[in-house]
Amino acid sequence: MKTNTLTKPGTYKTLALLLLLIGPAFLLFLLFVVMPVVQAGYYSLFNWNGIGPLTKFRGLQNFGLIFQDQVFHTALINNLKIVAISLFIQLPMAFGLALLLGRNKFRGEAFLRSIFFFPYILAEIVTGIIWRFIYHPQFGVPTILSKLFTENGGEIGLLGDPSLAFGAILVVIVWKYLGFHMIIYIAGLQSVPKELEDAAVVDGANKIQVIRHVIIPSMKSSFIISIFLSIIGSFNIFDVVWALGQGGPVHSTETLVTYLYNFGFRRFSFGYGSAVAVTLFGICFVFNLFYQRFIVSEGRHGKN
Amino acid sequence: MEKTRNNILRITLSILGALVFFFPIYTVAIGGFKTNGQLLADPFGLPNPFTSEAYRVVLLSGSQFWGFLFNSVVISGFTILLTLAASMLAATGLSRIEFKGRGFLFNFFIMGMLFPITVAVLPLYLQLRGFGLIGTRLGVILSQAAFSLPLAIFIFTGFFREVPKDLQDAVSIDGGGLLTFAWRVLLPLSTPVISTVTIITLIQSWNQFLLPLLVLDDASTFTIPLGVMQFQGQYTTGWNRIMAFISIALLPMAMLYIFLQKYVVAGLTAGAVKG
Repeated sequence: MKTNTLTKPGTYKTLALLLLLIGPAFLLFLLFVVMPVVQAGYYSLFNWNGIGPLTKFRGLQNFGLIFQDQVFHTALINNLKIVAISLFIQLPMAFGLALLLGRNKFRGEAFLRSIFFFPYILAEIVTGIIWRFIYHPQFGVPTILSKLFTENGGEIGLLGDPSLAFGAILVVIVWKYLGFHMIIYIAGLQSVPKELEDAAVVDGANKIQVIRHVIIPSMKSSFIISIFLSIIGSFNIFDVVWALGQGGPVHSTETLVTYLYNFGFRRFSFGYGSAVAVTLFGICFVFNLFYQRFIVSEGRHGKN
Repeated sequence: MEKTRNNILRITLSILGALVFFFPIYTVAIGGFKTNGQLLADPFGLPNPFTSEAYRVVLLSGSQFWGFLFNSVVISGFTILLTLAASMLAATGLSRIEFKGRGFLFNFFIMGMLFPITVAVLPLYLQLRGFGLIGTRLGVILSQAAFSLPLAIFIFTGFFREVPKDLQDAVSIDGGGLLTFAWRVLLPLSTPVISTVTIITLIQSWNQFLLPLLVLDDASTFTIPLGVMQFQGQYTTGWNRIMAFISIALLPMAMLYIFLQKYVVAGLTAGAVKG
């Protein structure tokens, strides 16, 4: 459909109007989104402490240093673990919950949905502090449980133990974001044609078969969206991890953004930090290209 | 028969799950009404006796809660206003004027949805420093608005495109130009979309932590999330006060959710439709 216009294209009046309409957004976007990113690309080529002129050109050395850094490896692996937990535990759980609570089969569903959704509206930092209490080594839940169920149970400090801390954080991440994905799936469930479901039942399909062959294919776009948000979100996680231990103990819970913060800001190596930012951009960008190219387009033009 | 059994299983399962899920919130909600000694001795039991000492400390003395609240309201408020104004103007141009490079410009804005503020925060910090905006609320407002624009422009442009040509012609016959049309027709029609964008921007800006952490350097300009962090550092062992602080801090968002539940969910699922 052709969009209608009140103004003739190509006249000065149109140009002035365009400037007035699009100018403010363009300026804001250029100054605070685009330019910083371009500048980061430039800074990443220097050894720079953030003050004074850029003189120590290093080319791509910063990137080499990043990829050699053991802590960066931990951070990247941790992000990949978050992606894995999100995709293989959180999303199936959210889908299960949506099936359980999204179809108005009993009274009180809406209330229960709110309970699962509530953690999502909490500030991440608040979430972190709440769970620090739940995990507290002296009086937290793990300690209470260990005293209750084992003979000589003592204090358990999950967040202080480098081998357990990240697992404990993963639990919090699932707790925080599960409800959001549940809501996406509930919205998707409502678009599944009821007749299709009934027809399958008439044809003798059991519950699992209906879910497998009718519901899941009809909800393809919900899955595409929630997988996309999960992965992008997983790479950008910061607040929760920060509140639960600032990337420690001994860097065991470092993620790409805590790494960026710890190494860029706390040590004032802005050149190095910029290189981390550029790498993170690169990862998100490549992932998105891939996702657009192979998943989203297939979802749009595929057989559904 | 089988149906009722199934339903009972379904209900039991959901309630058990919900109880586990609600447990951390419950802990906070009751924690603020205990004395610290009681909280540490019996962290998950009911308060006995109820005491409001922790709330008094948070609200009346020993914290800058009201200052934090004020800053949060100012920063979120102006972020929302700026986002709405800039994105609605831009969407009007992008949806109702034909010009060369329109598709390119639209994609240029939309590309911004790919990059959450977290990824860009280091270069953004340097840019804000260059503008002399470090330590100012304005620095936070401008950056948050800029990062909220892509999604807002995406939503408004999609909506404005669907407004029929007839309405625009009617305005045109009365001698009104595009701006009159935007003001008289597009704006009043957009109420549901405006609430969607407002809610998305509000939740993001209200809970934003990393950016204010970097930009704001003085406690008198701190927002609630920064305030919570600072308060927590100040009373490391005063968990009852921390819980009272958190309870009050999450009240505005909780109330928003309870009263606007339908719109919040609609807004977030609309917001999710990107990529």
